[in-house]
Amino acid sequence: MLRLVIKKEFMTALRDVRLQVSGAILIVLMLTAVLVGKQGQKQIQTEREKAQSAMYDTWLNQGEKHPHSAAHYGMFAFKPKPVLSFLDVGLDNYTGVSVFLEAHRQNEVLFSAAQDSNGMTRFGEMTAALILQVLLPLLIIFLTFNIFSREREEGTLRLIHAQGLSMRQLLLGKVWGTYAMVLLIFLPLVLLAYLLLDEQSAQLDSHVTGKFLTLAASYALYFLVFVLLCVLISAFAKNSGVSLLSLLGLWIVACIVLPKATSNLADKVYPTPSQFEFRSTIEEKVENGIDGHNPYDARLASLREATLDQYGVGTIEELPVNWSGIAMQAGEEYTDQVYDHEFSKVEQIFHQQNRVSEWAGFLNPYLAVRNLSMALAGTDFRHHVAFARAAEDYRRAFVKKMNKDMEVNHTPGIAFGDYNVGEEMWSSIAPFAYELPRTATILGQEWRSLAALSLWLVALFLGSFVLAPKIPKL
Amino acid sequence: MKILMHILSFEWKILWRSQTLKVLLLVILGAGLYGIYFGKFEVEKQQARIAEVQAEQRQRFDSLLVWAQLDTTLEANRAKYARALMPSGSDYRTHSNYTVVNTPSATAGLCLGQRDLYPVYYNLNITDFARKVNTGELANPMKLLTGNFDLSYVIVFLLPLLIISLFYNLYSVEKEGGTLPLLRAQTVSLFTLLLGKSIIRLFLIWGVGAILLLLGFLLQGVPLAATESGFFRWLGILLAYTTLWALVMVGVVALRRSSALSAMLGLGLWLVFTLITPALINLSVSAAQPLPNRAEVIHAVRTQNDKNWEMPKSYVLNQFYAAYPEYAEVDTTEFYPWYYATFTVLDQEAQALKAVIDEQVQERNAQMARWEWLAPAAWVHERLAGLCHTDRQSQMAFLKEAQAYHEKIKDFYFARLYEGASITLEDLRKLERGL
Repeated sequence: MLRLVIKKEFMTALRDVRLQVSGAILIVLMLTAVLVGKQGQKQIQTEREKAQSAMYDTWLNQGEKHPHSAAHYGMFAFKPKPVLSFLDVGLDNYTGVSVFLEAHRQNEVLFSAAQDSNGMTRFGEMTAALILQVLLPLLIIFLTFNIFSREREEGTLRLIHAQGLSMRQLLLGKVWGTYAMVLLIFLPLVLLAYLLLDEQSAQLDSHVTGKFLTLAASYALYFLVFVLLCVLISAFAKNSGVSLLSLLGLWIVACIVLPKATSNLADKVYPTPSQFEFRSTIEEKVENGIDGHNPYDARLASLREATLDQYGVGTIEELPVNWSGIAMQAGEEYTDQVYDHEFSKVEQIFHQQNRVSEWAGFLNPYLAVRNLSMALAGTDFRHHVAFARAAEDYRRAFVKKMNKDMEVNHTPGIAFGDYNVGEEMWSSIAPFAYELPRTATILGQEWRSLAALSLWLVALFLGSFVLAPKIPKL
Repeated sequence: MKILMHILSFEWKILWRSQTLKVLLLVILGAGLYGIYFGKFEVEKQQARIAEVQAEQRQRFDSLLVWAQLDTTLEANRAKYARALMPSGSDYRTHSNYTVVNTPSATAGLCLGQRDLYPVYYNLNITDFARKVNTGELANPMKLLTGNFDLSYVIVFLLPLLIISLFYNLYSVEKEGGTLPLLRAQTVSLFTLLLGKSIIRLFLIWGVGAILLLLGFLLQGVPLAATESGFFRWLGILLAYTTLWALVMVGVVALRRSSALSAMLGLGLWLVFTLITPALINLSVSAAQPLPNRAEVIHAVRTQNDKNWEMPKSYVLNQFYAAYPEYAEVDTTEFYPWYYATFTVLDQEAQALKAVIDEQVQERNAQMARWEWLAPAAWVHERLAGLCHTDRQSQMAFLKEAQAYHEKIKDFYFARLYEGASITLEDLRKLERGL
């Protein structure tokens, strides 16, 4: 009996011209988004790889130089364009793509695509995510808004009930029938996207298959939530018109208005500090010490004392090692502490802001799937921070190596211009490589969104079970 | 004509009795008020940030003015005195900074536009310009992605939804309610009747839009009459945009489909115009033309910097003299004239590359703009941002302004540095006034 209902709902949907048209439009849009998106991602990634290796070449070929000059000459880190960004571009257009790594200073990741584009960019980019999160639910609404009211208006609901089918079974039948229709549109897309994962993708991210499957599963979950919600609402709506209007209203609020309102609210609750404040705090703390009572001169003096003691000499000139190298590295490590503190303070504020929308996923499943999707596609804020941190670690490592070499090898008595190192030294620094976070890490961080989706699903199934017998039959 | 007036007044009465309409109007009014409030809040935040840097600038000038009058017979005062009055500063690493800020226009709060992507200020000094502009403003990318809930958002995105909800069942409500045969029996043609219904709804939308606009301008404290406020241009755009949507919906109604299908069609068109088309344009442009790599400019500057220090001094000075022939006679053995000349060479190198990149970016944006007419929502939003000086072009204009200011700072210092003169107290006051 249940299977009959599922089949009936599926076939009705399949035969409906309006749905054939809107389904076809969706499929064409998705094909375009996925194919063009993949090509774009590939091209951007190729460009970045090229830039990264060209910049590394300039490092190797910088000629004979003092190691500290080389640290000032610096290196670059380019953010890889995550493989699955072709499915969900996420924050990618709003975060910087490259960072200049130099001695003494932690630079920001600069040059976001949005800064170089006119206002049209703010309208979003057509990716599978946009279609699956926003447009497909609309199709679900069209499939379900009169799924009960039509039967009521035609008088078939009572007939079916009289045949011994419980309302619970009928409701579930309608849910699974509609869901089958949704999967018919969704699964080919999954297959196509899967086939597009090429060699470059696997090279860039070895966990890409796991992430992709999890991503597909999250969307499958989201659609089920949406189908259940729509079928339930339409079951209790007075008539088709009321049902459609309330579903559309809900869609507008959940997919269009709330996401914007949520992040605007979050910015209000956890205010973003200004760039000026951020930079002046760093300057101030480097100058006067993290606690404000340990100025640069005093730090230097005590370091000198300690170094002289360590080598058992009385003056800097008697040291067997290069004092500037030691001082510079100590200075570097001190500013690193300041940078760590200030950068993570800002990151924490942004995380707090984003957490508002993660919790809001319990109210709005759209937000839950949006956050989860971005995270799995590697285009969320956490991924940006992970890249920035990897680049910064790389910077600290190579600057330290330069300082260390200067400390040990640029011994007292050799003038600044007379101590130079060359390619052997430069090639001892490996090219910048950044490993994208693993699937488990991402899911661990996104547990709120995952829990929100699951909770919605359980609650809706329970709700249907409890409410189904109360569905009006007339 | 009389009949039309009759229809209008009758429809108005019906509309006015509708509970749904009241709710919808309340929702849109609430959204509009929130948008106005949010825009004001954001602009005030930008203003607070500007005030913060200006206060620091003030403090810096106060210090310089005090230092310029210090007693130099005391050893401790000499560095500060030199910092204030020597064109070369007290040592080659410390320079006096001058702040240039991008003040929001009076109407910036109505359409926040692209301003949230860019820094509101730059700190400039006698050294190079190229590296000074590699800064950003702290912003949560998630907030940048979801965008601002300002008045322009309400007008561009939400007002059309109100139009759709008022128009979609213009015809079908009569058919489904069973009143259509009655209407057909009247002497009035169905066309006149639908025309009347459409006109009254359009007037209502215009009224709502105009009220929102008035509220926006008044609550943000912008005088309507001032030509630079652009109120009438806003109004013109608003009327044209809402009329366009009304016409689209009249087209949908003319298909004479059921309420449900008309609503779906309306919403589908809304999606096409506000979401799908811009998103498709963005996708195609970003896939076809990846953005040029701006890190190249940083690379060019560092390479040039290496070269400046490696080559004999004449390498830099010859290029410098070409740009500033008036200083060709200076003593080239001194450190400072050469040192500050290196920055001019850096900037020239950076500027040449930046011009190429800017051109590519410009071309890419022109590509996007070429398709803008397909996405009326994007077109309108871009025009509104233009009116409020919050679009990308305004930011580019600010950057140009900052660069011109940097030239002035250089000219001011160079005139003294290369003539071997020092800065006077009067000079400092002139700097304080903004050159």
